[in-house]
Amino acid sequence: MRYVMKQSTVESTRNKTIAPATKTRPMTTTAKESAPPELSQYLMAVAADRDKQAFAKLFAWFGPKIKRIAAQKLNNDAAGFDITQETMTRVWRKAHLFVPEKGAATTWVYTVMRNVIFDAMRKNKTQQAESLSDDIWPIEEQISEESPFQDHLMTKQLGELVKKLPPNQQEALTAVYYKQLTHEELAKQLNIPVGTVKSRIRLAVTKLKQQLGANND
Amino acid sequence: MIKHHPSSKLLAGYATGELPASIAIGVAIHCKMCDQCQANVDALTAQLADQVFDAELTEPMAYENEQFDLASEAEAPMDMDFGNMIAAITADDEISEQSMVRSTSITVKGKNFELPAPLNNVRMSNWLNIGKLSRSSLNLDEGAIHSHLLHIDADGEVPTHTHKGFEITLLLDGSFEDDMGTYHPGDFIELNGEHNHQPKTKEGCLCYTVADDALQFTEGFHKLFNPIGSLLY
Repeated sequence: MRYVMKQSTVESTRNKTIAPATKTRPMTTTAKESAPPELSQYLMAVAADRDKQAFAKLFAWFGPKIKRIAAQKLNNDAAGFDITQETMTRVWRKAHLFVPEKGAATTWVYTVMRNVIFDAMRKNKTQQAESLSDDIWPIEEQISEESPFQDHLMTKQLGELVKKLPPNQQEALTAVYYKQLTHEELAKQLNIPVGTVKSRIRLAVTKLKQQLGANND
Repeated sequence: MIKHHPSSKLLAGYATGELPASIAIGVAIHCKMCDQCQANVDALTAQLADQVFDAELTEPMAYENEQFDLASEAEAPMDMDFGNMIAAITADDEISEQSMVRSTSITVKGKNFELPAPLNNVRMSNWLNIGKLSRSSLNLDEGAIHSHLLHIDADGEVPTHTHKGFEITLLLDGSFEDDMGTYHPGDFIELNGEHNHQPKTKEGCLCYTVADDALQFTEGFHKLFNPIGSLLY
């Protein structure tokens, strides 16, 4: 590297944001635990079925940690609570954007938390309310812009997109849109609640809409 | 071919979310154009996540030990409030739609440029023109740190100058040369007060710049420009 930046300038800016937090709890021994491998299954269950129990398990593991990390970063216990709420709300709403092949559940939740903390710290320091984090760290899976649709009916491409959906969403979509079953008929056939059928279809359609919308831009 | 990359320190700061927005935007734009830096950031992010969430990984990373010294605190017992929070969150069945990949385009001197996504929601001033130089300042509200879009028209140059603080230049479009070589889109160039340079461009270029102070022109006649240095950067 031929250019050497004077590190102190960036350093000084960074250090301001990471002033040591005051400890509010007495120190005790550290409980050793490593991330349970089920976390990513819980996330997928939330994505596919809006599974509240799976979410509660995610919350039990991540919630207290996020609260502690955020309270320390923002040097404020109440902020820690708010950030936990915002992060876990995004986890609940965006779980369908988690791609297990791309990385661990902990990494995904970490990026969600980092973005929430970044926006909160900016809001504290500046007069601006815009959230920039999702532009700076695109958390959503990137949609390929390389294959714009050629045909007007988009049948082939749509079929390919449908194939990329989780199996249970594919099944619901095919049954309702291709085989013309009603939600109730499909629910009965699969022996699951109608609400589950509806949410699977909604998730599937949301995902398809996003991909088609981005390609049509 | 991108030859100039952000330092590992900046990549780490980007992964932790602790860089000022203006610098983080520069790194983000570079990473969109540079698969290798993006892969480095992804790996760093996965490591950080492990480190933050996994109490067993206690070995601190060199650049991180000050931020995440959390191992000394025990896990708090699940709060009563958390139960309510879970109920409130899961009661809402809303799904966040993926934000559309949209792009903002700008026109400078009759030429159209598509801006990278990290600049989507950043407010920009009108373009100010000084000869072949055009500049729009970005309103990120970060005190001494200023970021701009800088366009240099074909055959234009910035008089020899130095920087009192730091300067980051990210080439978005076109190319420019200085005594160190030629730069291409995606190149991420960090400069400090010890370096004099005189960028010139044959074909014209558009840059994203971040600096924490005005530039100082260092040569003869151009010293007259010093009062406008702060207009440029």
